Order: sequence, then structure tokens, then C-alpha cells
Amino acid sequence: MQASRARLFKEYKEVQREKAADPDIQLVCDDSNIFKWTALIKGPSETPFEGGVFQLAFSVPEQYPLQPPQTGEICLDILKNAWSPAWTLQSVCRAIIALMAHPEPDSPLNCDSGNLLRSGDIRGYQSMARMYTRLAAMPKKG
Amino acid sequence: MEDYEEDYYSSDRDSLDGLENEESDVQWAPSKGSSSKVITKESLLVAQREDLRRVMDLLSIREHHARTLLIDYRWDVEKLFAVLVEKGKTFLFAEAGVTLVGKHDLGSSPSTVMCNICIEDVPGTGVTKMNCGHNFCNNCWTEHFIVKINEGQSKRIRCMAHKCNAICDEAIVRNLVRRRHPNLAEKFDRFLLESYIDDNKMVKWCPSTPHCGNAIRVEDDEFCEVECSCGLQFCFSCLADAHSPCSCLMWELWTKKCRDESETVNWITVHTKPCPKCHKPVEKNGGCNLVSCICGQAFCWLCGGATGRDHTWSHISGHSCGRYKEDGEKKAERAKRDLYRYMHYHNRYKAHTDSFKLESNLKETIREKVSILEKKDSTLRDFSWVTNGLHRLFRSRRVLSYSYPLAFYIFGDDLFKDEMTNEEREIKQHLFEDQQQQLEANVEKLSKYLEEPFDQFTEDKVMDIRMQVINLSVITDNLCKKMYECIENDLLGSLQFGIHNIAPYQSKGIEKATELSVCWNTIVTDTQKCPTSEYHTNGIVTESGRPSGSGSLDESGCSSRKRPRKESLGFGAIDLNLPPEVIDGN
Repeated sequence: MQASRARLFKEYKEVQREKAADPDIQLVCDDSNIFKWTALIKGPSETPFEGGVFQLAFSVPEQYPLQPPQTGEICLDILKNAWSPAWTLQSVCRAIIALMAHPEPDSPLNCDSGNLLRSGDIRGYQSMARMYTRLAAMPKKG
Repeated sequence: MEDYEEDYYSSDRDSLDGLENEESDVQWAPSKGSSSKVITKESLLVAQREDLRRVMDLLSIREHHARTLLIDYRWDVEKLFAVLVEKGKTFLFAEAGVTLVGKHDLGSSPSTVMCNICIEDVPGTGVTKMNCGHNFCNNCWTEHFIVKINEGQSKRIRCMAHKCNAICDEAIVRNLVRRRHPNLAEKFDRFLLESYIDDNKMVKWCPSTPHCGNAIRVEDDEFCEVECSCGLQFCFSCLADAHSPCSCLMWELWTKKCRDESETVNWITVHTKPCPKCHKPVEKNGGCNLVSCICGQAFCWLCGGATGRDHTWSHISGHSCGRYKEDGEKKAERAKRDLYRYMHYHNRYKAHTDSFKLESNLKETIREKVSILEKKDSTLRDFSWVTNGLHRLFRSRRVLSYSYPLAFYIFGDDLFKDEMTNEEREIKQHLFEDQQQQLEANVEKLSKYLEEPFDQFTEDKVMDIRMQVINLSVITDNLCKKMYECIENDLLGSLQFGIHNIAPYQSKGIEKATELSVCWNTIVTDTQKCPTSEYHTNGIVTESGRPSGSGSLDESGCSSRKRPRKESLGFGAIDLNLPPEVIDGN
């Protein structure tokens, strides 16, 4: 068996076992393809993302874990050059939650929010993040 | 002709003794031996060993750690030492990802270990602990190394643990990879070896195509021109053909311009020029720029103007067609003027490079002439003046041709627009053109004398030509030197906005890089105290309390020569060169 497959299988078992330990993260593996995963991440409390549920699709390369999993555009160093094979899908999700709570204004994916933060407009940033959370990560009302 | 290069200067000097000023003698003196080295595939390890050795000795570390440090510092030993002095060993090692461990850390391993990468329990024997202390199974390590080597990251393979900055021990990488992919292990080794070339600003691959496989190392000045052992001469700084006294930027712009405008210029710079009298096209079939038409009219190939039939070459030197005259009266449109300006310089540049090519053929005929003379029963024995004169001609011709694109840019109004006022420009242009013109006149004279069929002359006449050639050789050499001084001090020295470095004038032609001698290798690896391994003996001696301020650490055996050479660059020398086809014959 491929090393990546074996490793993902281990991760899968670990996820099943630890489900209760991390209620903010729900990692689901595609039924037919162990290289496709979906994560549902709850926005951390006391952040503009609170109440939102964010869906992430992971596509795992064959060289995993020597190469990082691919996901949407997230400007997170560990998904790029600072990747270490010691990371798991679960720990990547945890890192994403940490990024939501502590945004990196110097490396923003969304320039506007980065500019708001850098100019010290915390309220502006929060309101914008809140807006996007409502638009994209919360059940539509009525 | 084998040892001709070596003989050349000494015999030249001898024959000039008492004939010429002292100054030229002094200037022959420096730069014995060459400061640039050819690094072949075989000598690559030897080439880097001295740097490795210095670092290993000073820090008492093993070779692969020294290599990791040096790769991190781009093989700049001085910089590495400076950081060591300023920030200390711990900082140096941490920054470069070098971790040193005592033997005890590596010793006993438990019966099974959980590898954090594959999350499997692996027997202790199948696990490797890196210097940083991180433990993973051999399988995962190997996979990791293979991915990194294939990604081209051989030089900096980091540990797999998160945020661990440590660079993996190259011996471990090599051993593990070799077990699965011997070829890849070789590739890894090559990457490490070639880092010395790829990451080192003092070493560059020879730009020959097809590639000769060599690299060239220079000692202290990146702005120089060198000749690889494959015969290719190139500018070390930009890797283009040797182009001094043009700066790299000027040369780049010029070659581009010549390409772009070639269509316009093509029909103008044809192989022929109309005779000023009969207007028949005249082809130039010799090196000299004084051409005579079949109708009897003599004219200057450069400007196409008629010259007297019984000209003397001193008249030609008063003839000022090398100067560019701005045509103010006609009030030509700027574009047209620019084109004419460009054509002026391009034509002269081309005329001299063409002459250069034709004169290259002279080499053969000259050789024949000399052998004829040698067979004659005459008191004249030494004919080194002929070949010396020929080489002087090549070198000077080369300086002359590249001085035109230089002038095009320096006195033009784009590149140096804000550097000088119009008045200053005019003065400098006159100064430069005076020198250029003098050089031009003497180069043509030299060319003319060398084309004489002196093998058929009487001995007296040969003696006369000998005197002329020897004198003109010295004169053109000095004129080249002066022109470089003028360029470096008066033209480029006062620049405020741009920096234009030019390779210094080399009276002897472009320096041939010498092969690294391999016996050196054995001396160093044996770590015997001998004069050649100055570096490492120094490291030891310094510790025992000898004052280290002598600068000895940064000096190699040959670097004592470097200083004087550097100073000599101050007055404007630049490099000049012969094209490979000329050198090949030697």
C-alpha cells in the first residue's frame, strides 16, 4: 500500500476516535476516495466568524504527507513552504481556526480586510468579516 | 608556436630594453600567473576544499557541517567569519540550521518507536535520529529526501519536524537515499558539489555552448574578462562576449540595438564602399583602413573620403574622421540625426571588427613570412617582434572597436543624460576622441607595416620595419592604457547616477584561467603543514596566540598578488582580448 494511503487511513481512524475531543472540527472523508476530504469548521467564538460554519475541501496529493494537502486559497505558511510532514489534516484545521482568531494583516488573502487591520480600523475589519461570514457561512434566513 | 605566449613578454621586454620608457616596463611586471582558475568536473571538490578547510579548522567541525554553513553564506568565507566574530558560534549555527550533537545522544534507541509521519510503530533499528534530535522512521526520511532532491532542494533539506530549522546531515541523506535510488544519491552529491558554483558569486559556469563543463573562479574582482580552458573568452560579470571598454549595460544595449536596427544599417554597412573618384564599389581585402581603388584613388575606409595617393600615415593621423560632427545646420529631424549618429558609431565599430577579422587571417601569412625569413642566412635571428606586433594589433584593434559603442552611449543623450552638462560633454568628448584618434592612427600604421611583404625585403629594410613595429606596439599599448585611464577616470569615474564598471585593460590580452592543480588536493587532505595550505595552518596558529590581525586569514598564497593588482586597476586598465579563433592556433 502507498505510504500516503496508509497514513491517511491512520488519520481517518484517529479522527473517528477523537471526534468528541475537538467539537469545532468535523473532518469527513469521501466515501470512495481517501484522497478527498471535507472539513466543517466552526468560526471561533468572540471573533467576527462566530456562528459561521466554514466548509473546506481538501485534496490530498500522492506525496502526502511530504507535500501539503491542497485546499482553497488560504494564506497560511504551513500549507506552503513551512509545511512539515508531521502535520495532519486535523492539525491543519486547528491552524486555520487559529488564523481566524489571529488574522495576519501582513499576509492577507483579502486586501481590503488587511488594509483595514493595518490602518487600525478593528471595527471596520470586524464588520466586514462578519458580513462575509453571514453571507457565506451561515444558514440563509427565510 | 607552442610556448609562444610565455616567451612573448619576456622577449618583448628584452628587445625593447633601452628603446622605450621605463614606464612600460613597470606595467608589464604585475599579474604574473593568473588569478582566475578553471574548475573542471574533476577539480570541483579540490576547488571548494580550501574554503571548507578554513571553516572546518576555525570552528572544529566536520566537512558536511562546514558545507552547510558555506552554502548558507553563499561560499563567502569572510562574511561567515564576520558573523562568527560579531554574533557568535551559536547564532551562526542556528541560523544556518547546523546542529551539533554529542555521541551520547545518538546512542541507545528503544525497541520500538512511533514515527510521527507514518504513525506506525517501527523497530528502533529502522529509525534515524537527526542531529536536531528528531526521530523518524527511515522510510519516511527516505521519502522526504527523495521529494526534496527532486524538487531541487538538495542543498537545504530541512528536518521533517514542524518548525525545525535544522538541515539534515548530508551523510544520512546520502546513505538512506542510496539504498533505494543510487542515481538520486549521485544527483544529491552533484547538487552539493555544484553549490560551490551555483551559489557563489566568485564562481560562474563557462557560458560556452555546447557547454564545456567548466566553471571559472575569479579572485577578487568580478568585473573582469577571462578565457576558459575551452578557449571561450567572456565577460565574467555578464557572461556575454568580452566587450571591454564597454560596460555590461552599454554592451547589452548596443547588441540589442544592432540587432534591432540591422535592417536599416544592413544596406549601409555593406561589404563594399564606393570609391570617391570612380564610385565603383571597392571591397576591402586587407586589414588596413587605407584602401586604394583600381582606378588609383586611395581613400579612407572609415569615412570614404579620398586621401592623397602618396599619403604618409602621419597625415592619416591628422585626418579626423573618427570624430562625430553634429550636423547643426541642416536641422535634420531628431530621429534622422539619431540614426546618423548611430550609423557613425556603428560603421566605425563594424569597420574595426571587420578589420579585426581580416587581420586574423594575417596570422597564417605572418607565420609563413617568418619561416621564410628564418631560412634566410641573415644576422636577424629573433622574430618575436612580428608575432608580438600582431598580437598588439589584435588587442588594440579590439579596444578600438569597442570604444565606439562606448562613445555612442557616453556622449549620447539617453544613458548619461543627467550626468554632465552639454559643455562638459563636449570637452570630454574632445578629450576622448583625441585619444581614440591617436590610437586609431597608430593601429592602422601597425597594421600596414605588418602587411608589408617583409620576407622579400633586404635586411636593412626588415630592420627598419622591425623598429617601426616594435615602436608602434609600445605606442599602441600605451595609448590603450591612456584611453582606459581616460574612460575610467574622466568619463566613468565622475558618474553620479549610474555605475558602469568595466573590465580593466590587460596589456597581455584576456587572462587565461589556469587549471587548478590537483596535487594541491593531496597536500590539504593530508593536513600537513606546508606553505600552500596557509589557511588551515593559520587557523591553528591563531589559536595559539599569534596576533591574528595580520590579515593572514583572508589571504591565500596568491592573494598577496591581489592587492597590487587591485591598486593597478585604479588607473584605468581594462581587459582586452583575442577571440577564440585567434588563440586556438597557439
